[in-house]
Amino acid sequence: MSVADFTTTLPRLTSAPKTAPRGELTLSNIHKNFNGSLAKALSDVSLTVKSGEFVVVVGPSGCGKSTLLNVAAGMIKPDSGKAMLDGRPISAPGPDRAMVFQDHGLFPWLTAEQNIAFGLKMANVHKSERRDRVAAALQMVHLSQSAGKLVHELSGGMRQRVAIARALVMDPAVLLMDEPFAALDAQTRTLLHEQLQSIWCQTHKTILFVTHSVGEAVRLADRIVILHAHPGRIRREVKVTLPHPRDFDSPDITQMVHLVRREIEDEVNRVNAQMAGDYWKPETADDLGSHSVNLGDGI
Amino acid sequence: MIWVLILLTWEMAYRFIGWKPWIFPAPSHLLDAFLGLLNFPTAFGDPIHRGWPRAAMEGIRLHAWYLSPLIHAPLVSGIRLLGGFALSITLGATLGLAMWRWIELDKFLGPLFLGMQTLPSVCWVPLAILAFGINERGVLFVLVMGSFFAVAISLRDGLRAIPPLYQRAGLMLGARGWRLYRYVLLPASLPALASSLRQGFSFAWRSLMGAEFVFIAVPNHGLGYLLEQGRNVSDVAQVIAVMIVMVLLGILADRLIFAPLQRRISLRFGLTVE
Repeated sequence: MSVADFTTTLPRLTSAPKTAPRGELTLSNIHKNFNGSLAKALSDVSLTVKSGEFVVVVGPSGCGKSTLLNVAAGMIKPDSGKAMLDGRPISAPGPDRAMVFQDHGLFPWLTAEQNIAFGLKMANVHKSERRDRVAAALQMVHLSQSAGKLVHELSGGMRQRVAIARALVMDPAVLLMDEPFAALDAQTRTLLHEQLQSIWCQTHKTILFVTHSVGEAVRLADRIVILHAHPGRIRREVKVTLPHPRDFDSPDITQMVHLVRREIEDEVNRVNAQMAGDYWKPETADDLGSHSVNLGDGI
Repeated sequence: MIWVLILLTWEMAYRFIGWKPWIFPAPSHLLDAFLGLLNFPTAFGDPIHRGWPRAAMEGIRLHAWYLSPLIHAPLVSGIRLLGGFALSITLGATLGLAMWRWIELDKFLGPLFLGMQTLPSVCWVPLAILAFGINERGVLFVLVMGSFFAVAISLRDGLRAIPPLYQRAGLMLGARGWRLYRYVLLPASLPALASSLRQGFSFAWRSLMGAEFVFIAVPNHGLGYLLEQGRNVSDVAQVIAVMIVMVLLGILADRLIFAPLQRRISLRFGLTVE
């Protein structure tokens, strides 16, 4: 199976799919409250990711963005609200919603190749087909040379690419990515942004991506969803209309980053002030304003 | 080199200062004890004279070396160890796994097992004698009771140290039910399994030696029996020689089996770097 085969089996973003849409993720009125915490991790969050859309969720630490992703993955059950994929309710984790974790989550006892083949093996895919699909996935992340390496023999960036290949090889309806590049150095991150962008342009997978980096969001997303913290709630959505593939150095991107960052800084300040309020109670609104320092802290 | 120097000094101390060999034997006495247990009686420990180090042999008939106590006893102990250790691993691994899987069970058994693990294995001997009598089953009982708690506890702790991320990744990739155990949790627990085996072995070996030392009336004579026999005839050299053999066999088993096993797994997992 080649890269071309991947693309033909999937609906394009631009052409309207004739069959039932695949990869439409609908989260409606999701509430989630973890034991012992006062503020809700998620409060009435509704989000629809259309088939083939690349949506990035950004927000300050603790805003519940990972929780949201885990609800979509079926790892966390919401207190109330519905999570659906293509009209079917999500109840448990499964390979149709493949996830890329921040700490890759590759199995250290397997080689890169065996890690990628793992999901296919669990799905009882025949050996010869498995081999072809793994080879195609390895090629897609440019790791054919490292197929036989063990996880600890790979660099951080390579591990994350294997993790992406492991998810893509399952041909999932949705790709869920939980801060996958947060632990990488800046150069590697940019490289992986380019690779992910080109993979997305080839496959047009539905992607729900969570990050705290605004730059990352603007580079990759069709649509950016900005989350509030305490309680976790959608604050705003920003459409990024720049065409793919993007030149990450273009001034459009820089400008967009500023805009979104402004938006989040306001949010962070509000949260900081709220948390400072545990020790210090503002008398008036002006009082509050003069004490909101640490701009951008936590981004 | 240092060992040679120490042994030489020790030997010299005996020869020239006149330490008493029935209290503190010299290396030459230990050599005599070793060779004697191998059915080669020698007298290296005697003052050097004509005919040294040949031992006086009037009226003693000996079997061939391969029928000697020093060959026979480790074999007996080894077979007991294999059987008992296998039983102890099966029991320990099952309970360790169960304690990891069901928290309620762990709350009940965990503290109990931890306490049992600190109980010296010889303390099981009276119970073994009363319950099974002085026979192989009694020895086996002491061995198993002396080691399986340690296996269970160390396996449980090892399993707990498996990153939850592996389980999530496995579920995400469609490994459900027994397949999650077989293809994710079992391989993920290999480092824990290896160290619990190693831990269990040292406990089992200690328990066995202690049990054999007490259960001397059991027909098959293990290493522990030789130790007690040496005490019985006030042969300090034999006592120390047998102790050395016990230590050497323990080291040998660790070096040949458990250390390489753990090393291979660690390398595979990238826990150590070659």
